Amino acid sequence: MLNYTLRRLMFTIPTLLLISFIIFLILDLAPNDPTGNLPLTIPPEVREKIRQSLGLDAPMYIRYLLWSQQFFINEPLNLLNQWFGWCIGDCEGRLRVSSWATRSPVVDLIAERMPQTLWVVGMSYVVGILIAVPIGVISAYKQYSWFDQIGTFIAMIGFSVPTFFTGVLLIVIFSVWVPNDSFFWLPSIYDTTLEVVDWDSFMLQVRQMIMPVMVLGLFNAAQISRFMRASMLDNLSQDYVRTARAKGLKEKTVLLVHVLRNSMIPVVTVIALGIPQIFGGAIITEQIFKVNGLGQLLIIGIQGADIPLVQTLTFLFAVLIVLFNLIADVLYGLLDPRIRYE
Amino acid sequence: MLDDKKPLVQVQDLKMHFPIYRGILKRQVGAVKAVDGISFDVFEGETLGLVGESGCGKSTVGRCVLRLYEVTGGSIDIDGTDIATLSGAGLRAKRPEMQMIFQDPQASLNPRMTVGSIISEPLDEHMKMSKTEKRERVGELMDAVGLARRFADRYPHEFSGGQRQRIGIARALALNPKFIVCDEPIAALDVSIQAQVVNLLEDLQEKFGLTYLFISHDLSMVRHLATRVAVMYLGRLVELGDSETLYLTPKHPYTQALLSAVPHPDPAQAGNVERIILEGDVPSPANPPPGCTFSTRCPKAQAICKQDSPEWREIGEGHFAACHFIE
Amino acid sequence: MKLKHLIAGMLGAAMLSTTAMAQEERGRDGNVNVIYWQAASILNPYLSGGTKDIDASSMVIEPLARYDENGNMVPVLAAEIPTAGNGGVSEDLTSITWKLKEGVTWSDGTAFTAADVVFTAEYCMNPDGGCQQLSKFGDVESVEAVDDLTVKITFSVPKPFPYGPFVGSTTPVIQAAQFAECTGEAAPTCTEQNFGPIGTGPFVVTEFRANDAISLEANSNFREAGKPAFATLTFKGGGDAASAARSVLETGEFDYAWNLQIAPEILADMEAKGIGTVVSGFGPLVERLMVNQTDPDPALGDGRSTVANPHPFLSDLNVRKALSLAIDRPLLVEIGYGKAGNVTCNVLPSPAIYNSPNNAGCEVQDIAGANALLDEAGWVRGADGVREKDGVRLSILYQTSTNAVRQDFQALIKQWWAEIGVETELKNIDAAVFFGGDQSSPDTFQKFFADIEMYANTFDGTDPEAYMGNWACSEIPSPDNAWLGGNMPRFCDPAYDALLAEMAGTADINERARLAIAMNDMLMQNYIMIPLVHRGNVSARANTLEGVKLNVWDSQLWNVADWSRAN
Repeated sequence: MLNYTLRRLMFTIPTLLLISFIIFLILDLAPNDPTGNLPLTIPPEVREKIRQSLGLDAPMYIRYLLWSQQFFINEPLNLLNQWFGWCIGDCEGRLRVSSWATRSPVVDLIAERMPQTLWVVGMSYVVGILIAVPIGVISAYKQYSWFDQIGTFIAMIGFSVPTFFTGVLLIVIFSVWVPNDSFFWLPSIYDTTLEVVDWDSFMLQVRQMIMPVMVLGLFNAAQISRFMRASMLDNLSQDYVRTARAKGLKEKTVLLVHVLRNSMIPVVTVIALGIPQIFGGAIITEQIFKVNGLGQLLIIGIQGADIPLVQTLTFLFAVLIVLFNLIADVLYGLLDPRIRYE
Repeated sequence: MLDDKKPLVQVQDLKMHFPIYRGILKRQVGAVKAVDGISFDVFEGETLGLVGESGCGKSTVGRCVLRLYEVTGGSIDIDGTDIATLSGAGLRAKRPEMQMIFQDPQASLNPRMTVGSIISEPLDEHMKMSKTEKRERVGELMDAVGLARRFADRYPHEFSGGQRQRIGIARALALNPKFIVCDEPIAALDVSIQAQVVNLLEDLQEKFGLTYLFISHDLSMVRHLATRVAVMYLGRLVELGDSETLYLTPKHPYTQALLSAVPHPDPAQAGNVERIILEGDVPSPANPPPGCTFSTRCPKAQAICKQDSPEWREIGEGHFAACHFIE
Repeated sequence: MKLKHLIAGMLGAAMLSTTAMAQEERGRDGNVNVIYWQAASILNPYLSGGTKDIDASSMVIEPLARYDENGNMVPVLAAEIPTAGNGGVSEDLTSITWKLKEGVTWSDGTAFTAADVVFTAEYCMNPDGGCQQLSKFGDVESVEAVDDLTVKITFSVPKPFPYGPFVGSTTPVIQAAQFAECTGEAAPTCTEQNFGPIGTGPFVVTEFRANDAISLEANSNFREAGKPAFATLTFKGGGDAASAARSVLETGEFDYAWNLQIAPEILADMEAKGIGTVVSGFGPLVERLMVNQTDPDPALGDGRSTVANPHPFLSDLNVRKALSLAIDRPLLVEIGYGKAGNVTCNVLPSPAIYNSPNNAGCEVQDIAGANALLDEAGWVRGADGVREKDGVRLSILYQTSTNAVRQDFQALIKQWWAEIGVETELKNIDAAVFFGGDQSSPDTFQKFFADIEMYANTFDGTDPEAYMGNWACSEIPSPDNAWLGGNMPRFCDPAYDALLAEMAGTADINERARLAIAMNDMLMQNYIMIPLVHRGNVSARANTLEGVKLNVWDSQLWNVADWSRAN
């Protein structure tokens, strides 16, 4: 297993390098301009100078190599410096990957946004799983019962109704209709500057997370509960379940120990494969509730043609996707004794 | 000779109907009558063979008898308790006495559990044993079925088919059952392995005084193993009798047809047996023919067969059949 | 009785004075929430020309003078506005001398001096810095500190309007001490400075989250006692205009929302809830059609949309005039902007002094007149209803940026033009591409590979000279100047250039107005541009927020120091 993992990891390096180049190429070919969103009062000559100062006059391969050097060499060195205080080479003057819009290191921007994305999107994933697993289990166990029918209906809605609809609907209900001073009122705008220091601020944090987490959670739950149900149904009809019943086990044990544990194998891998999406943020939901996480960072970067930001973010997503594919494979091997990687 | 044996299992008028749902509202529109009113006894220490074509309902009978299904009707008396109406804790308390060995040893073993935990799980559930006692018991059981004790930490997929069936048998034996339903336990195995497993079953029967309901479509194997044999067709028993008697003098036309298809051990005599070929397909159990269910294919069928269901009656000592034309 | 009254009166007076004193206290009104649906990326306007960034930074760093809500210049860090009258502007119009206010300190307590102003000028004029406000420093020869409180800016040419540098929020003064290491190529690397400039303004940055939210607190060293009234200010960014409006007008979470360009009836519905008010103001922003005077035919290759190839039919004044006549401007206003728009017949409608009275009448749609005009000019309808003359069909490619209102306008105008026998093909281009200067893209508004294009333009401050300069012959974009230049219609008239030159040498405001109106009329009467809508700025404020004066000439947060909470 270890050998397998190491071998797979080794193969990811050329893959990721290729991906980074392709992303760069696509971004470069796309017709966009970082000065495009500036007010028209800034004259064209000045725009040209701005573009030059951003290094846009250099040929494409030079810019790619520059980015590669900044990202693959300078950024890790900088991390070493920040985390351990190790200083290798020029620690002060080292050029890091910088956003064109904010003129600050992209990695710092990402680090700044990580908490709210992980809190909101990550929590919604957890909530989604917590809702989905019991629904999936019960739906499968009582197939075609009213519970199953309602579960299917809700999953269909959660799956097909876009988050920009459910999000705005919730805002209209809980922020607009419900009066401000009511206990049920929820903020429509997420305060990223809120620091949780005591019970009150914790409650504020919980309140502002409820709507975005529920909107995304419903969507995630819809997806995962379907997987869960299908997987449970697969296993429920297996002979080993009959064996377990014949052993005289309690129905709860049969369901939770035998069927659920086996049904979780494919579901766990599906969940693992979905984790990179958490880091990718939920662009639309983040926009609606102004969570301003990684998704919003990406969309602003795209709108403003902030190439280094978009390049770095997209590449990190690519890394996560490749990584979690590997993790899903390894998990599968760990969970299912029938699978062995050599 | 049979009179001094007391029945361990008494099945009376057992019915198992699976409902059929159709349409958007999933309304019940009918039922598959997988088992439709059968009665038989299994005596202590004997092996009752249950034979029939695929889909005749013999596996369903096995599962009903162990209450793996909610039966539609009838009674199943095991060692003095009617388990057809038991439920929950009462039924679970009865489970240790009756066990099952399944057809597909691969599918019937939980792939994520080690052999040791598969065998010991019933012990956790039904017996108060310490860890070491349990380990010892698992060891004994593995010895009994001819598996090396060191395999206890392996997973089912690491074994061959025959070994897996041994695991299944060990598991079934864990709680010292009196009665074991063997549901085609050798059908999925290589021929070379089949004999080993059958011998093992025989040895165990002798050693532990087990009572078997042996379900199979392999008539020769049943003849070899069974004390008595029941023949089933489309959810009903058509004939039941002492193994030797039934094989030598089958009374029911369906039994005759079945047995005529068995290759004879002596090729020289094979030519003497006239092969009876049945016409047509087995009717759907959702819509069985009126009267005698075999009437659609029976070479001896007459008008009465299409109207009246033949009575299940004793035609000789311990020999039962259901046919209008048996004297 | 008298005594009683007297005592009561004295008590009342005492109470009044204490409350009055309490009201004077800085930071008395707690927190105020401002939402800009475009989030601020940086607090250094020299590195980002985005309105959101300039507005956000205007709370922290200040210029020498700014414009008030009426477009009048008011001193901020300067003691007074230098004019020729008070000797601040030299006779030959080549220099301006600013006297700074005494006793102003930076938020870190150090003194604000002329050296900071000089440094700021050098910072922006450094050729390696990529300064986005460089045009404000156009023709600046030198900026020198005469003494600690006097700054002299010298221009290489006479500047009748010498208020480019350090007037308005686009060119605030930054602290020399803080930015000393950040000049030239190092400018973008100074993240800490760019995210948290030390300023003289009413607020200081406590936390800057790029493209997200800014936390600010009252500047304890702010020069005006008792201001700002708010102890803290949260500047939140992100989302869209509709949800920003909702947060002020419906949920009451925010106190001020910027730039609410949403459907007028939706805004009115929200306002009806009664917890907030929509405020609007009109600057010089005009949505207009640019009429290409050159031929965009792809067959011309490199000569496409260049002056070498005049447009086959838009060079005919009658056609251009007919296109304008066919438009129902009041309907466009109603559909697209409601309260936030007015009909305009001028490309320079504001400030009022520059608004030409000579082009009235365009608000009446005149399809019959347009048809008659084209008939007269010899454009005859063909079999398919499209007019043609000498084999030239009146077939127009009409492009604009992707935006719901603009696409509505396109559809309406296409229909009206169809009624006068003009065929129109519509095209919309993503704003980042359309307004972007990507040389490889054929779809930029500068290349103008179309017959008509639509967008809005405006100018900073109140002086239109630079804006009117856009339509000089020298400003025509072409492959020779890498398509740089603001003269999209490729209009070239020596008479127009002469008027511009005259304006460049004229200091008298009335005379300047006459010249600007003449230029505006020249553009309008030749139908080089067809103005559609005079667009306003729409913002919303909570009813409990007092002191908001919507300013279209400067940062909308220009007077945030005067904001307070109603009791």
